[in-house]
Amino acid sequence: MSAFNFEIPSRQSAKGIIVIFGISVYKVVKATIVFIAAFVLKILSSDKPLNIGHPIVLLIIFSIPLVFIVIAVLRYLNFKFYVKGDYFFLRKGILNKEEISVSKDKIQNVYIKQNVLQQLINVVSLSIETAGDDKTEIEIVALVKPKAEALKTLLLAGVKPKNVNNQLDEKTETAIYFKASVKRLFLEGISENHFKSFVLIFAFIIGIYNDAKEFVSELEVTTGVKSWFALDNESLMAMLLFNLSILIILLVFSLLLSMIRMFVQNFNLTVKRKKEGLEISKGLLNKISLNLNASRIQNTMASTNKLKRSLGLYKLAFTQAMANKRQQLKFNIVALSQLQLNELILQFYPRVFDNLVKHKPHKYFLKRLIAVHAIIFIVFNCCFLVLPQWAFLMNVPLLIYMIYNIVYTYKKAYYHIDEDYIVVGSGMLIETHTSFLEVKKVQAVILQQTIFQKNHGVATLEICSASRPLKIKHIELNRALKIKNYLLYKVEYENKNWM
Amino acid sequence: MELFTNKEIDINTLPKVEDLELTPISPKYIYIIVANILFTYGILCLAIVFINVIAEDKSFSNTFWYILAVLITLCIFTLIINYLGFKKRKYAMRDYDITFSKGFLVNKTLTLPYNRIQHIEIKRTFLARKLGLATLKIYTAGESGGDMTVSGLPKDIADKQYGFLTKMINERV
Repeated sequence: MSAFNFEIPSRQSAKGIIVIFGISVYKVVKATIVFIAAFVLKILSSDKPLNIGHPIVLLIIFSIPLVFIVIAVLRYLNFKFYVKGDYFFLRKGILNKEEISVSKDKIQNVYIKQNVLQQLINVVSLSIETAGDDKTEIEIVALVKPKAEALKTLLLAGVKPKNVNNQLDEKTETAIYFKASVKRLFLEGISENHFKSFVLIFAFIIGIYNDAKEFVSELEVTTGVKSWFALDNESLMAMLLFNLSILIILLVFSLLLSMIRMFVQNFNLTVKRKKEGLEISKGLLNKISLNLNASRIQNTMASTNKLKRSLGLYKLAFTQAMANKRQQLKFNIVALSQLQLNELILQFYPRVFDNLVKHKPHKYFLKRLIAVHAIIFIVFNCCFLVLPQWAFLMNVPLLIYMIYNIVYTYKKAYYHIDEDYIVVGSGMLIETHTSFLEVKKVQAVILQQTIFQKNHGVATLEICSASRPLKIKHIELNRALKIKNYLLYKVEYENKNWM
Repeated sequence: MELFTNKEIDINTLPKVEDLELTPISPKYIYIIVANILFTYGILCLAIVFINVIAEDKSFSNTFWYILAVLITLCIFTLIINYLGFKKRKYAMRDYDITFSKGFLVNKTLTLPYNRIQHIEIKRTFLARKLGLATLKIYTAGESGGDMTVSGLPKDIADKQYGFLTKMINERV
């Protein structure tokens, strides 16, 4: 078996003291940063300078870290864990003693994480997620990596996958299936849809534009920039170029920001295929390694955009039952090729593409799109009224964008249902999404009809799973009812386990 | 164009949700709805009046009447919408699932199979106790969407349903 004996109650690695110390200092500083800042400011602005040599001041300065260290040591000494039979036990607490026991088959997932501090002293943290309430926090903050891996294997050994669709041999189990290269991550970062973040920043800048203009002129940068363009101070051209340069700086800024984010989150992204699912590890500052269990997967969404498609970049996002919002983000795999994307989808949804029939939504969807865009168009033109006349020229790109957006949004919308799967396609001008859900994972079905939809005999179907619901928008009422009846029949009659 | 590929079952012979005879909730529940709306808008109006009384700036009293008028119109509008929506609050139970429908502007019909229920609870607010009503809450797994809240049930019916569903869940495993 493994080289570690988990049956005897044991403490974590002694380095845990450092991690506990670090975490508690970080938490306290984060919570009291306002007070600390106010205090420092008060001292700095007060007339009499603080006497550092004063014994009381010295005492305070030295006692605070000491208290933290004592607490960290006590916490470390009072933290013990062991595995006995089918249960994992954890005892902790200095004054308020706490004993937690978790049955192995209630364990949903085991994460191995590593933040910057843990990377420096070469330990990992192991956290256990259980079914049910998400408040119980079980985390062992400092373990040597082999020990953490051994514990993880031991804890997950109790979780037996119920339906293994694929026969993967031992070799594929340990082999790295996919590793995102730096180049692909770089491309992924560049090809993100910057439009949204750009619009946000742009609107923000417009809002503070006048203030900013004053501020810039005060700094006398304007004159510098204007002379840089070697143009007349008051000429419209200089103004335009000045604004244009701000625009370009903004673009570069949003590009840079999303690229950095991409790298920090997905650095060294590796995927291993296992019998019961996938093992994903990634992260630069906070390294994380997690198991994705096939039986726990709810929705799966494959997405790409125009640019990414031409670069051959696809993203796969899984949602798991019980996982909280922050963790859900981590089940994303970026920078996949189309082949890998399809292979992974087929691992969890076998034969899903075999008889995929794309049903279109009702024409009402198109009408609604046109109506919504028309309203936006009118709002924009009301704004143009107060601007100089040339502003109406903006209608040309606006109209072109809107028409393309309507056409593509309608074109990309489809749905498919068979005995096992529900597939929904969606997207706008730039992005394309495809969502997959197993019929047996349906929790409830909602038929939704607005008064406008009622007049057209159209309805929206909302299919709830244990994570976010899947929507089939604007289909004929008859069809929606048929699908609802069919799904309810499948869930009630076949009574398959959803987990 | 076939909708489903499974030939063995005929979709048209499946039990139909649309044929369900839905039972309206207790008519007394309208009192609770009205009371809630009046209470919310009443507090808003009081706040506005209070500001007007203590405000030293006389220019506010001009806008004051506009704000009050808007609030009252909104209140009446909300009352009408809720009255129309009240008639749509209906429920039904079948052998294997429960259905609840509500909403005037946006009508939602949620059907929840019994075998997906996680737990149930009965809630009774002060007003509901006075009127002999109860709210039945049914939870499914996961975050959102699938949970059902049937408010304004007569207490005896709510208790009966609670007992029935609890028995169903306990016998399941």
